[in-house]
Amino acid sequence: MDFGRLRFFLGEVGTNLTRNTTMQLTAIGTVAVTITLLGSCIFMRESVERLSARMLSRIEISAYLNDTATDADAAIVRQEMTHIRHIVSVRYIPKTEGFREMSQRMAGAIDTSLLTSNPLPNAFRIRVDRPEMAGYVARHVALIHAVAKVSYGQILVERLLRIADVLERIGLTIVTLLTLVAAVIVSNTIRLTVFARRREIAIMQLVGATNTSIRAPFIGEGLIDGVLGAGIALGMLAVAHLQLLPRLAAALPFLPLLHLGVDEHRLALELLAIGAAMGTFASWFAVGRYLRT
Amino acid sequence: MIHLQDVSLTYPNGVRALESVSLTIEKGSFVFLVGHSGTGKSSLLRMLYREEVSTSGEVWVDAVCLNRLKRRDVPRFRRTVGVVFQDFKLLPNKSVWENVAFALQVTGVPTREIVRAVPRALDLVGLSHKSRMFPHELSGGEQQRTAIARALVRNPKLLICDEPTGNLDPTTTNEIMELLMRINRKGTTIVVAIHNQAVVDRLKRRVIRLENGRIVADDERGSYFGDETPALPSRS
Repeated sequence: MDFGRLRFFLGEVGTNLTRNTTMQLTAIGTVAVTITLLGSCIFMRESVERLSARMLSRIEISAYLNDTATDADAAIVRQEMTHIRHIVSVRYIPKTEGFREMSQRMAGAIDTSLLTSNPLPNAFRIRVDRPEMAGYVARHVALIHAVAKVSYGQILVERLLRIADVLERIGLTIVTLLTLVAAVIVSNTIRLTVFARRREIAIMQLVGATNTSIRAPFIGEGLIDGVLGAGIALGMLAVAHLQLLPRLAAALPFLPLLHLGVDEHRLALELLAIGAAMGTFASWFAVGRYLRT
Repeated sequence: MIHLQDVSLTYPNGVRALESVSLTIEKGSFVFLVGHSGTGKSSLLRMLYREEVSTSGEVWVDAVCLNRLKRRDVPRFRRTVGVVFQDFKLLPNKSVWENVAFALQVTGVPTREIVRAVPRALDLVGLSHKSRMFPHELSGGEQQRTAIARALVRNPKLLICDEPTGNLDPTTTNEIMELLMRINRKGTTIVVAIHNQAVVDRLKRRVIRLENGRIVADDERGSYFGDETPALPSRS
C-alpha cells in the first residue's frame, strides 16, 4: 500500500468517524456501557471465585484420637499421614489446647463457666491443598489406627463448593448474554452508519471497488469505535475500582475484598481486546448485506 | 462489443423485464435505447454492467460472458465500463476532483496515476476550472459532466448512460449530448437510454426501441418513434 492509498484509507475512516458524530457517539457509548458492565461482571466473578476459594482453603480436617492414645500413638499417626496425598500441613492439638480454643470460640455464645470438664480428645488439624479433596483425605485419615473420628465440616465444604459453582454459572450466563446484546447493539449502530453511506458503497461497487476495499474503512471505523468505547469503560471501571471498592471493603469488613489478587492489567487488556473485536465483527456484518452483487 | 443472445430477465417478484432480446452492438458505435417507462431499458443497461444477471440467454460485453462471470471477478469487469445516471450519483461531500479521483482511489490506483488521469478527464468534460467546487455549487449540467468524467477517468471501452439528460434543461441536454458524441468519436462505445425525442431525432443514430421487454424496432439511423405516428403528444 503506497502512501497515497494509506492516506485515502485513513481519510475515509476519518470521514466515517466525523461525518456522523451523533451516531458515532451512540456506538462508542454503547460499547462503553457494555464493556463497563462486562468488566464489572468479570471482576465480580473473579472476586467471588477467589473469595470462595480462599474461604474453602481455610477449611481444616480434625482427626480426633482415641482417649487411650499415647504420645507415641500420636507420633505414629503423624507418620502415617505423610503417606496420604493432598495434605499440606498437620498440626497437633493436645486436648488442653483444644479445650482452650473451644472456650474462646464459645465465649459470649454460652456461659463458659459451665464447661467444667474437658470433653475433647487429643486431635490433629489437617489442611489440604484443594478443598474438594477434603473428603478423600478425611476417609484415609479415618483408617489410621488410633484415630477415633474425623470431621471436616462436610456440609459447609459442600455448600460452599455448590455456591461457588452456582455463582460461576450465573456469572458466565450474564457475561455471555451481555456480550451478545452488545454485539447486536454495536452492529445495529454501525449498520446505521453504513446505511447513511450506502450511496458511497453503491458508487464504489459501480466503479469496480472490491468488497475488501469497500469494507476496510468501515472495519477501521468499527475498530476505533470499539477501542474508544472500551477505553471509556476502562476509565469508568478504574474510577469505580479506586473509589467504590475501598468503601465496599470498609462496609463489609469480614470479606477480604481488597487483596484478592485479581489481575486488573490483564482484565483491562482483555476488555480492550473484546471492545476492538466487537467493533470489528459488528462492522464486518453490517457492511456485508450491502455487498451482495 | 455487446452481444445479447435470446436474453430474458424475470425479477424475483415475478415481473418479466425482458423477453427473448437478441442484439449486437459494434465497437465504437453510438446507440439510443428508447421506449416508455417500464419497458426494460434500464434493466437491459443494468445487465450490461452486471448489476443484473439474465434469467436465460447470454450477455456478452467485450468478449466477457457476464452470465458466467464469477462474483469475485465482477469488480475487475466493472472497471472496464463507465456508467452515468440521471441523478448523477455524485458524493456531496467530495469536490469535483475528489469525486473523479474516488473511482480510482477505491480501486487502488497509485497516486501518481491518479494525478495524471483526473485532470485529463476533467479537461475532456470541460470542468478543469471547477475541480475544487462541490456538487451543490454546480449546475445540473456541470454535475452530470462531473459524473461523466468519473465514468471516463479509467478510459473505459463502453460508456452506459441511463437517462443522462432526464434532469436537465434543453440547452444543457444538448451540451451533454455533444460531449457524449465527442467521446464517441474518440472510439468509446456508447449506449444511451433516453426519453428525449428531439435529441434522438436530431442526432440520427442507431435507435433500438423496446416495448414490454421486447425489441420492436432497430433502425440504423432512426428516430424516436420510427415509422409510427405518436398516439400521444410527444414528450420533450
